[in-house]
Order: sequence, then structure tokens, then C-alpha cells
Amino acid sequence: MARTVRTGTGLSRRELLRRAAGAGAAAAGGIFQAGWAAPAAAQTTQKRDLIVAQGGDVSRFDPHMSTSSNDVRVSFNLFDNLLSRHPDGQLFPGLATQWKRTDPTTWEFKLLDGVKWHNGDPFTSDDAKFSLERTYDPAAHTLVATVFTTIDRIEAPTPASLVIHTKKPDPLLPARLAFYGGQIVPKKYLTAAGPDQFNAKPVGTGPMRFVSWVKDDKAVFEAYPQYWAGRIDVDRVVFRPIPETAARVAAVLRGEVDLITQLSPDQWDRVNQNPSTMGKGVLYAGLYVLGVNSKVKPLDNPLVKQAMSLAIDRQSIVKDLWRGRGLVPNGLIAKGDNHYDPSLPPLPYDPARAKAKLKEGNYNNEPVIIETTVGYVANDKAMSEAIAAMWKDVGVNVRVEVIEYSVRAEHNRDRSFKGLWWSDPTSTLGDPDGMMWRLLAPGGPMDYWRNPEWDKLGTDARFSIDEKFRDQAYKRMNQMALQYLPWIPVIQPSEDYGIQKYVAFTPNGNQQLDIRRFNFHMRRG
Amino acid sequence: MTMRGFGAFLAYRLARTLVALWLVSSVVFVVMRLSGDPVPLLLPPDAPTSEIFRVRHDLGLDRPLAVQYAVFLQNVLHGDFGRSIHFRQGAMGVALGYLPATLELGAAAFLIAVLCALPIGILSAVRRNSPLDHGAMGFALIGQSAPTFFIGVLLILVFSLRLNLFPTSGRGGLAHLVLPAATLGAFTMASIARITRSAMLEVLRTDFVRTARAKGVAEAAVIVKHTLKNASLPIITITGLQLGTLLGGAIVTETVFAWPGMGRLAVESIYNRDYPVVQAVVFIAAVLFVVINFTLDMLYGVLDPRIREAG
Repeated sequence: MARTVRTGTGLSRRELLRRAAGAGAAAAGGIFQAGWAAPAAAQTTQKRDLIVAQGGDVSRFDPHMSTSSNDVRVSFNLFDNLLSRHPDGQLFPGLATQWKRTDPTTWEFKLLDGVKWHNGDPFTSDDAKFSLERTYDPAAHTLVATVFTTIDRIEAPTPASLVIHTKKPDPLLPARLAFYGGQIVPKKYLTAAGPDQFNAKPVGTGPMRFVSWVKDDKAVFEAYPQYWAGRIDVDRVVFRPIPETAARVAAVLRGEVDLITQLSPDQWDRVNQNPSTMGKGVLYAGLYVLGVNSKVKPLDNPLVKQAMSLAIDRQSIVKDLWRGRGLVPNGLIAKGDNHYDPSLPPLPYDPARAKAKLKEGNYNNEPVIIETTVGYVANDKAMSEAIAAMWKDVGVNVRVEVIEYSVRAEHNRDRSFKGLWWSDPTSTLGDPDGMMWRLLAPGGPMDYWRNPEWDKLGTDARFSIDEKFRDQAYKRMNQMALQYLPWIPVIQPSEDYGIQKYVAFTPNGNQQLDIRRFNFHMRRG
Repeated sequence: MTMRGFGAFLAYRLARTLVALWLVSSVVFVVMRLSGDPVPLLLPPDAPTSEIFRVRHDLGLDRPLAVQYAVFLQNVLHGDFGRSIHFRQGAMGVALGYLPATLELGAAAFLIAVLCALPIGILSAVRRNSPLDHGAMGFALIGQSAPTFFIGVLLILVFSLRLNLFPTSGRGGLAHLVLPAATLGAFTMASIARITRSAMLEVLRTDFVRTARAKGVAEAAVIVKHTLKNASLPIITITGLQLGTLLGGAIVTETVFAWPGMGRLAVESIYNRDYPVVQAVVFIAAVLFVVINFTLDMLYGVLDPRIREAG
């Protein structure tokens, strides 16, 4: 998820603190082993509260004003989308009960009847039309303005039906509607109250209703009794920010919170060994990659990049730095996405071939710079150091520079990275279009490399409703990308959560945290 | 000191205070602006350039630094610290919203520190070189040198997880306050205990203490009335300085314990390049420091006639 705009979080920024806390935890580890008396393992509960602790606080409730994961976990429960992507990756009805393409550029949606907003107003197709149009309305200045660029116009013929005309055929429109940007907001309330008031007192149709927010302390919600898909299993939901990993883990171990996000790999065993808690992991819907500025020497040379990719011992990184919580990618398409090719082998580690490739590419000891953040993606600095060592082993003249978040954001905006940098591209649509094409397309945020064939395939695939063609196109694009390496994929990590055993919950790899009935309940005795 | 003398003294102190606040605000203003641009952090990575320029313009960041500074000063003189870029609310309001949590934590830490440190320091001095003295000073050394996050995590592991006595984090009732306050107060406690001990030892060596003992004054009175009172100046100095540190926001402690205080706000705001909030937080912290220092100066005057006359 676009973490660049993940303002107001704090979890991973404070590497210093975290490392230190890690050291503290390690030093104090004996205390755990010495056997602290845990309360009897509770596998069921009568609790009516759900307390979630995440690494940073909510920054906005207005779903169109943020794509940060700390906000999305909340806004997806305050609001509904027309469609809903469940943890199994499939699309299910949301506020739309049915949808079909009536011609290549026209989609018709049947909407739920009788749904009420949290303030009692009725939900109609006008709200849906208003919401989607708001995302790309220049005057609204939303942060999701690029999500629905394929839409030409929207009609709301009856209160329970919606028609969307796209500029060209858009096979992924339903998928776009299911993710961020697609949350439906109340036209009447938002227009009357204004965006600031709406953000301060959000009104949605979702399973939980806003109650109060004390910044950096807690955001409190209550179950919405009239929720159209059934009232959720708790009365109150509280989101608390606990930036420090050790404290967040301690909170779930002690039973103060029911669910924590961003469980770090080194705490996985601890949470599982504790009788009342367990870890719950899901493969991240995306990859952790090193972005490559293919315009600078020697990274303009595909052979050098191939050598660098071959020289990375990804197995060791997964095993040692991630304690096995992740897997080695086989290309630029994330496992679990459309058009992922399971027959491809994991990216190989072959230092001998890497050396040969460097020679073949006439690598002349030009410096290669990794600009690493500290905690922008988990383990980024540690991985940078490990990879730098691996590259030095095959003779790459590599240097690691540590940069700050705002510097990264500036480089990102100006496309001015010196060499390589960490990125965690999220697959927003469960499809390469929402990942490699979204980011690497001409004009995209990571546009440092162009190839006419690749560009044509990407454009054609975006606007094709022929799934066979799309499959071929993405296979070829993946193949080419592994040759030219606009990204060097490193790991597809596991997104891990710590939960009380009485919480029945399935995480979604795209960092959505649905507390809806289909995905969440408390085990009652 | 005459009334007029006191008035002049006050006016002088006030002027110095204002200059200090002006300098602090200006330094923060310049440093924050040199450190980076908030706009890329506000917008999605794929935001068009036009949008970046618009936001910059809206925030007034496209104007020359000198103009921005002049506007800033003028606004501050009117009590306006600008709107938070991140929260989209008045920056001072945002910062003040975090103040109660910080004051609560700081005051609790201070109380714990002073209530523990004074008896420890006095006892150590009186029972110099006893096992008690060695134990206490060893403990103080650890308190002063162990990093705050280490103490914090250790306290969570021992008192929350193992002994199940206190909550691990967050703000709530008294129970929530104990561990973060103890963590934050550890350093202060150690410094006050050590300074108390050495100040007491100094005075205990003096002739008038020997005289007091010789003329048969009760030992408790010797220690409290003769020794402690005369040793109080350095103790108060250190205590006052520490109080400023405690109230100015405890970044590490607040982070470890997820305490919604000003220190955490400051760090978040620095990361977000939320200039107005950083300025407001620093201003509040500076005011706290200045007030504490001023109070200390007054206290010196009360406690030590020599300073009063010289002042």
C-alpha cells in the first residue's frame, strides 16, 4: 500500500528505537523463558469489545484522503465499496448486488435497496455516482485521483442502479471498485457538512460507526446495528496505535488487545508459544523490490542488473532476516495475482554466473548506490546491508546510503534516485495491471526504463477484455522485465498478525482488515 | 531587594525570556525549512506536478524564506502558529491537545523521582560507604546510564508480563501511569539521588555541622535542618533542570508506552515536515523551560540571601 503517504504512522520509522527495543527484548528474553505464568489459555470469550493495535495512528477518516495502511484498515470498515475483495482474493457483492458488462465499455450495477447511512439517510445510486466522481474531481483534491481514470461518465438511472461508461474497455473496473478510492461516501452529508467536518465525524454504511477519536490514543467505534450484511459480533471496536513492536507484542501477549498488526518475524514464535495467542499470516499482496534507476550508469546495462539479481541469495534473506516468513519471488508478478505463473522457478542465486555476466557486460567498477530508508519497508536497512555484501562478493562496487522518509518521497516525486531504493508495490487489483503496470508505466511513479514492446503490451492488456491475450501479454512482460529488471524483486513477505485464540479472523494480503461477518467473529463459549 | 529593584529584575528576566523564545522559534523555523519539503509526503506518489505546485502555493511554501519568516513572526505575535499541514487544524490547538498527557506523565515521573531520590541520596550520604550506599549508588549509575527504551521494555516484561501488575501501554487510569512514569523518571531519580548524596556529603563535612552535633542537636535535626537545607541549592538546580526535561516531552518513553504526549507529536510532526506543529511544540516546551528557570531563580533568592542581595 502506498506507504509514501503513510503520514502519521510511526511504527517502522524509528529503527533506532525498534532495534534498541529489540535488543532490550533480547536481553530480557530470559524472563520469558523463565516461564511467566500466563492466564489460562482462553479459547473462547464473552468480550463485547474488539481492540486492535496497529503501528501508527489513524491520520484521516475520509477514505478518499488517504491510502496509508493504518487508515485503510479503519476506513474499509466505516465504509462499503460497491464490491468487496475477500481474503481468498475473490470479488463479492458489496453495496452492489450484481454487476455485468453490457458492452465493452459499459458496466451496469444493481445496488442494495434499503441501506441506510450511519446517520439514517438512505443510500442511493446518487451517493455512489457522487463518490466515484469525487475521487477524480480536481476540486476535491483527493489522494485517490488516479484510481478511476478509465471512467468516462457515470449515470444513476434509478436509486438502485448505476451505469458506468469507461473510455476504453476496462476489464478491471470491478477490481478497482473493490479497493481504495472505491469506498462510497454520503453525498448529502458530505456536501452539507464539508470535507473537514466529514473527516472529523465520518458517516458511512459500513459495519462500524464512528464514536470518538483521541489522537495518538484511540479511535472508538460501535457496531452499526442496522448493518445490511448483519450486525458484527462485538459492540465496540477500538483502534489503538502502539508504535513500538515490543510493546505491541506485549499488549497482545497480556491480553490487553485482541489483535495486533505488523507482527515482526522475530516475534512470531513468541506469540505462537504463548498459550492464549497465536500468529496469523498471509502472503503480502505485492512484493518488496529494489527499484532501479535504469537511466544511470551502470544500471542502464541489463547485463549488470542481471548479474546483481543473480548475486542476491534470496533464500538466505528469507531464512535469516525474515525467519522464513516470506518466499522468494519468481518474477515481477506477485503470487496470488492473476497471471502469476507458478511454473516459473524462484529467482536463482548463482554468484559464478553473476561474475560472468559482469564481465560480459564490461562492468567497469562504476559505483552502485542503494539509497535505503530505515523501516519504510520492514527490514530494508538490514536487507540493504546483506545485499551490498553479496554484491561486493561478486565484484560490484556498491555503497549503501541511508536516507530519510521525506528525502525518499522527494526522490520518488522527482524520479531522482541515485541507483536503487526500496519499494513495496502493492497489488491493488490482484492483477499485474494494478502493480507493475500501475507503477512502471510511462509517466508512472517508477518510470525509469522504457521499451516500446513492453509499453505496447502493458497498454493493450489494460484495455483488453480478452483474458487469453492478457495472460500472454503479462507472461511476455514478466519475461522482458526479468531481462531488463526495472525492479529487482527480493521477497514476497508474509503479513503477520498476532491475535487472541478466541478471535476468528482471516487476514487479507492487501492489508485490508475486514471485521465483517464473513471474515471475523469472536469464538463464544 | 527593594520593590523597585525587584521590578527591574522582573523586567530584565522577562526581556531575556522573550529573546530566548524568539531565538528558539527562529532556529526551529529555519532548521525545519532546510530539512525538507512536506508536500511530497502529503500527496500520493503519482500526484501530478500541477498538484504539487498548488499545494505548495496553498501552504505558502512557494514564497521566499524571508517572506515566510516575516509572515511567521507576524502571526506568532498575534498568537497564531499557523495551521497544521497534516492535521488541517490550528497548530497550537493540536499541540496543546497533547499537553495534558505530557504534563501528567512528566509530573508523575517527577514525583516518583523526587520521592525516591531524596531519601536514597540522604541515606547514602549519612551511611556513607555502607552496603546501602554502594547498592543505591550502583543502582543510580544504572538508572543514569541505561537507555530509556531498555528500561521501558524491561519494565513491561517484568511488571506487565511476568508479574501481571500493570498494563503494557496506553493512557488510562493510575495503573497506566506507573510504568511510563518510572521509566521516564529513572534518569532523573538517579541524577537527583547522586547530587543529593554529594551535596549532603559536602555539607556534612563542614564545621557548623560538627558544632551542631557537638552541642547535642538531635541527629535527625542535624541532617534535615542543618545539612539538607544548606545542601538544597544544587539539589534544586538539578531538580529544576530535570523537571524541564521531563515536561518538555519524553519522546522515547512516550513511544515505547504508546503514550499520547507532546514528545511523540513532535517526532511525528518532524517526520511529516509539519512545520507549524513542530514550532508550536517547541514553543510550548521553551515556555515551560523558561517558566521553570524563572521559578528556580526566585527560589534561589528565597533560599539564599547572598543571591537575593546580589540580584
